[in-house]
Amino acid sequence: MILHVGAFHLDVDSQKTSVWRNLAPQTRILCVVLLVFAIALTPNGRWLSWIAYTIGVALLVLLSRVTLLTLLKRIAVELGFVSTVLLGTLFRQGGTVLWHWGWLSITTTGLMVLGSVVWKALLSLLILNTLVMTTPIPHLLQALITLKTPPLLVAILASMYRYISVLVDEAGAMQRAAASRNLLANPRWQRLVVGNTIGALFIRTLDRGERVHQAMLSRGFTGIVPLTEKPKYSRSDRLVLVLTCLLVLLGQGIYLL
Amino acid sequence: MHHNPIFIHQLHHTYADGTQALRSIHLSVPAGERVALVGANGSGKSTLLLHLNGILLPQQGEVVVAEWSVSPNTLKQVRDFVGLVFQNPDDQIFMPTVWEDVTFGPMNQGLRGEALHYRAQRAMAAVSLDPKLYATRNAQNLSGGEKKRVAIAGVLAMQPQVLALDEPTAQLDPRCRRQLIHLLQNLPLTQVIATHDLDLALELCSRTVVLNRGEIVYDGATEGVMGNPAFLETHALESPLSYSRPYCQIEHAPVRSLISL
Ligand SMILES: Nc1ncnc2c1ncn2[C@@H]1O[C@H](COP(=O)(O)OP(=O)(O)O)[C@@H](O)[C@H]1O
Ligand SMILES: [Mg+2]
Repeated sequence: MILHVGAFHLDVDSQKTSVWRNLAPQTRILCVVLLVFAIALTPNGRWLSWIAYTIGVALLVLLSRVTLLTLLKRIAVELGFVSTVLLGTLFRQGGTVLWHWGWLSITTTGLMVLGSVVWKALLSLLILNTLVMTTPIPHLLQALITLKTPPLLVAILASMYRYISVLVDEAGAMQRAAASRNLLANPRWQRLVVGNTIGALFIRTLDRGERVHQAMLSRGFTGIVPLTEKPKYSRSDRLVLVLTCLLVLLGQGIYLL
Repeated sequence: MHHNPIFIHQLHHTYADGTQALRSIHLSVPAGERVALVGANGSGKSTLLLHLNGILLPQQGEVVVAEWSVSPNTLKQVRDFVGLVFQNPDDQIFMPTVWEDVTFGPMNQGLRGEALHYRAQRAMAAVSLDPKLYATRNAQNLSGGEKKRVAIAGVLAMQPQVLALDEPTAQLDPRCRRQLIHLLQNLPLTQVIATHDLDLALELCSRTVVLNRGEIVYDGATEGVMGNPAFLETHALESPLSYSRPYCQIEHAPVRSLISL
């Protein structure tokens, strides 16, 4: 989420309708969590399980009718960060050596582990992003409460979300102010200004956060997110949950047969 | 309605950096009155309003709202009684959609379901925002005038008995300003309006309180101070435009008594 501060419209697609979007938000969260756990807990090298999950994830992405281009852009950014961390796994010992240079060597195990982990990360990111793009954050927070997440935790998440949007607002305003006075003159000067901007941004966000908080207090806020009516589970919610469970079991079961 | 909703006695406030923002303020507002709180920038208007709502607690002296003396134990009652509209709607509107923002206050009061719906609809109607058109709009993308109205609706939805507004016309264009004046004129509430727009004060409020550097330097009829340019000058205020404009016919002048001087 934090990586997309520059373009802070997380739920770009939440206004469209589709099968996925007619589900209650808590069903969507449950499905996504189930799938992510199943994917993450599958031991490395079980390609058949992943084929099953990939089909499931692909179905989900299609059903949700997200804008594919936006989805891919976000995944690309996030995968960029993740892969720098993952690169280390490539040089793991074990299996036959395929290629080596000095003390660096690439082995079959290394390749296998890297492939598995990247695939896991890719699938998880795909469904998580689909969830965030199709469900407005307040709905997600509400769903978390319905799912019996501790209210304090949800309150913290909620204020984080608001604080980020304050930050983005202020950053946008300062960016415009700088651009309107022709900031783009020369790169060295620009770097200097950006440094100052970040400092000022911090102070301004704190001030503004303080004022927003005062305004909330003046309308009787006591620290707990007020909830509207809970969305009800319907038949399609149950059906989708059962299907997800079946898929998860199938993926794990392939190797037991 | 309480007969004397606001009573302030010997109120002082000093900010953490040593700025003396308020000095021995004494003020009493009877029910149903509209009071203009005028003063130059930095004269302490906002600080005073923050006290009415218990955002700032009295360091010295006392603020009594209806029968409650403002203190940590009475905050809930005080905030239900006094609605505060902040100067910048962007600081006040923070929920994603207009509807969610308008219902925020009443939900904190414990309202749900049908009653909540009714309250929010009434409040939006009071500021002439059509719930059908605006309820699902993203609050960040509204125009300045619309945001202001959403902010006021969010406060009205709590059904306060006193409405405190901080520079309500500051970012509005003339037409929105006119609509807002009309709106405030028709709200049957006790109102405290902080402003440096003296034309607004003249139009809306029969009583004016002038603040200068945290002290009350005038408290009385609005006409009494508007017709005194020298006094306004010493307190860093400008005479209202409606006084500097030439009038073709004497009966068009806003205040007769002044002309006959
Ligand atoms: N948070 C704060 N910390 C320190 N000084 C402040 C703070 N807020 C306001 N002040 C100072 O208190 C004085 C009164 O401010 P304020 O009530 O905002 O005036 P007004 O609303 O009439 O323009 C000013 O001198 C201002 O600089
Ligand atoms: Mg002010």
